[in-house]
Amino acid sequence: MARQQGWIALILALAIAAAALLFSFPLKLGLDLRGGSQLMLQVLPAGAVRSVQPEQLEAVKEVLERRINGLGVAESTLQTVGNDQLVLQLPGEQDPTRAANVLGSTALLEFKAQRPGTEQEMQGLLQLKRQATAVLNRLKGPSSANSEPTSSGLDQQSKAPQPEIKAEELARALTQLGVNVPAGSSEQQQLELLLGVVNQRIVALYEPSDLSGRDLVSAGRQQQQSGSAWDVTLSFSREGGEKFADLTRSIAGTGRLLGIVLDGRSISEASVGPEFKAAGISGGGATITGNFTADEARDLEVQLRGGSLPLPVKIIEVRTVGPSLGAENIRTSLAAGLTGLALVGVFMIVVYRLPGLVAVLSLSLYALFNLAVYALIPVTLTLPGIAGFILSIGMAVDANVLIFERIKEELRSGNTLIRSIETGFSLALSSILDGHVTGLISCIALFALGTGLVKGFAVTLAIGLVLSLFTALTCTRTILRVLMAYPSLRRPANFLSMQQLPARSS
Amino acid sequence: MSTVEMPPVRFRISRYRTVAWWGSALACLLSLVGMVLCWLSPTIGLPLKPGLDFTGGTQIQLERLCTADCSSVTANQIQERLRQLNSATVEPQSAPLPSLETAQVQLLDGGRSLLIRLPELTPEQANRVTSTLGSVLGPLNPAGTAVNTIGPTLGDQLLRGSLVSLLVSFAAIAAYITFRYDRVYAALALVCLAHDVLITCGVFAWLGLLRGVEVDSLFAVSLITVAGYSVTDTVVVFDRIREQQTTLAALPVVDQVDVAVDATLTRSLYTSLTTLLPLLALIFFGGSTLFWFAVALTVGIAVGSWSSIGVAPTLLPVFARR
Repeated sequence: MARQQGWIALILALAIAAAALLFSFPLKLGLDLRGGSQLMLQVLPAGAVRSVQPEQLEAVKEVLERRINGLGVAESTLQTVGNDQLVLQLPGEQDPTRAANVLGSTALLEFKAQRPGTEQEMQGLLQLKRQATAVLNRLKGPSSANSEPTSSGLDQQSKAPQPEIKAEELARALTQLGVNVPAGSSEQQQLELLLGVVNQRIVALYEPSDLSGRDLVSAGRQQQQSGSAWDVTLSFSREGGEKFADLTRSIAGTGRLLGIVLDGRSISEASVGPEFKAAGISGGGATITGNFTADEARDLEVQLRGGSLPLPVKIIEVRTVGPSLGAENIRTSLAAGLTGLALVGVFMIVVYRLPGLVAVLSLSLYALFNLAVYALIPVTLTLPGIAGFILSIGMAVDANVLIFERIKEELRSGNTLIRSIETGFSLALSSILDGHVTGLISCIALFALGTGLVKGFAVTLAIGLVLSLFTALTCTRTILRVLMAYPSLRRPANFLSMQQLPARSS
Repeated sequence: MSTVEMPPVRFRISRYRTVAWWGSALACLLSLVGMVLCWLSPTIGLPLKPGLDFTGGTQIQLERLCTADCSSVTANQIQERLRQLNSATVEPQSAPLPSLETAQVQLLDGGRSLLIRLPELTPEQANRVTSTLGSVLGPLNPAGTAVNTIGPTLGDQLLRGSLVSLLVSFAAIAAYITFRYDRVYAALALVCLAHDVLITCGVFAWLGLLRGVEVDSLFAVSLITVAGYSVTDTVVVFDRIREQQTTLAALPVVDQVDVAVDATLTRSLYTSLTTLLPLLALIFFGGSTLFWFAVALTVGIAVGSWSSIGVAPTLLPVFARR
């Protein structure tokens, strides 16, 4: 009896500890349950790099972390997955557009001088670019210049003012540049296309240079004194400042332009006046006048400050779940889980009587321990995780069923109650053990080799299996033994119906 | 020598073993036929109809804030609106919008919420689709929106990861059973496992053919669970057979098996029932997200407990003959 009291004390202590744990460390809910965005990024090998090495993955992660901090989303997490993937979680974020824009681009900034002898071609391209940009801005309506591009609905297109480029002029420019226009594309689409090709042509007119975003020490933004557009300001390192001075000196007064190229896209072209012929633009600072909106300027600033990515990344998965959808998922799954458990409890008590009640008690303890372990590790509870939990309860019941069936068998073959209980437990042990070990083996394989979702499921199932082994073999047993100390409960009729017992005479 | 008495057996499984084998063989055959038909079907072309997780693409789930009449919108209207979007605006810095010709629209809950399957979109493009549809659908509940975009490479990784982990766990389980029992037991446990997984896949192949049900990553998880459950269930019966082999050593294997199956029958049925109860609750009361997951598990576990009663033990005497 003293040993039983020791076990009871232990179980009670564990139960109190588990309850306290759950109270102080709330369960971590996955994004599918609480709402938010999750972006999966694939780091791509590029240039001389054939496969992504761990230190390169780390370097990419560092740059991305700086960019995410610039975004200012609370509680965001960035984790590496496997050898070449990163997963970013943004709880509560409903619109991953900005995160995707800021994270996805390499942000390789280059300063390039125009090649000699291309002045005329450049003039033509720049004129085309100015025209196209002006028309596009008017097409998109005045309000969209300052707001998010996505919020400019389709309605604004209908009240667009008279365009400055005539349709045939546009078509001629496009064919001159060798662009194939897809049939049925709108004027705006054609303009976009034109602008893209023009920017590519402009970039092709530059000389290669070795002044890049790596030579920056900081970036900032400021609003233009006239108008609402924004500029991005740059400060170079000492070496970068010298390179910039050299570069500007080489083209000063020649009519050749200085180009600022971001990820292969020409974002700004500037002329350098003859007054810089002697020393170039010194002072280690520059301004990009790209007519940015406030958001664009801020995003570019964040990207430039974080540095360019050592390897390009591609967004391969974006999941966004609304918060009420998450709440709905929790509510229905929880309701279903509890209903299922209640049914199991009723079934156990009806079929197994007193031990059934004991099983319900020890299964409640099992659920409590399980949740406490989730809070302790911590396991982030996702939808498949909840499913794994509900399923592991079903499997925990199996251990109890195995034991009670054995006890019944022993009683039917005429053994005394206490002896039947002891034999029942020891005979059921080997099959319970085998079942749990095979389950754990597959959990280990799934965890080691599976991907995100499968991994989460394997963890919850493994925790469930280990705990079910513990509760079936200690909690159920101890509670049953303690109850058997009461003579009024120590009757075979509490275990099975009297007809199934062998007649006393035999 | 023949003094060992056969204990009373209520239910002799070996009497029904031909029926059991035929039943299982027929179910396996039907499953294979379903998967082959799926494979040959021009719209599917694979043994199971792959969902977004495997094909890649963007899925948008929207919830409307309509009060009384939600049924006025048809899927065709939405598709028409999407097509218009294709020939409308493009923002300067964005990648060109892929053709939305192939968009699939599904209306749920009497038009209150809808599910749209599109080619892979950037988050910004997905936003544009959502805001555009607002003009057809009326106000939307922003808190009830879900957008999932999955790149095509991810499905491959998921498939490969699940298959490799499944095969490795099979091998490890077979090694464990060989160590604890015997090679024949291990082989039979694997036969059972293959049987259960095949039939579960077969049911979903037919569901894919007839109802357009797709398999997603949760289905992969459920197959893995079914495999684990199947082995656990079979091992318990094997454990009982091994016990009979020492207590009833003089009896033929068929009788040992019959006694063991009879003794574990109640347990097998009760255990499946208690595992199925929460799953049935998930099917009937759970959210739509977990519905097919619960169906897959229910099928798998029902088949799994059948095979641990009717397939593995009845095959044992055939192979255990020395």
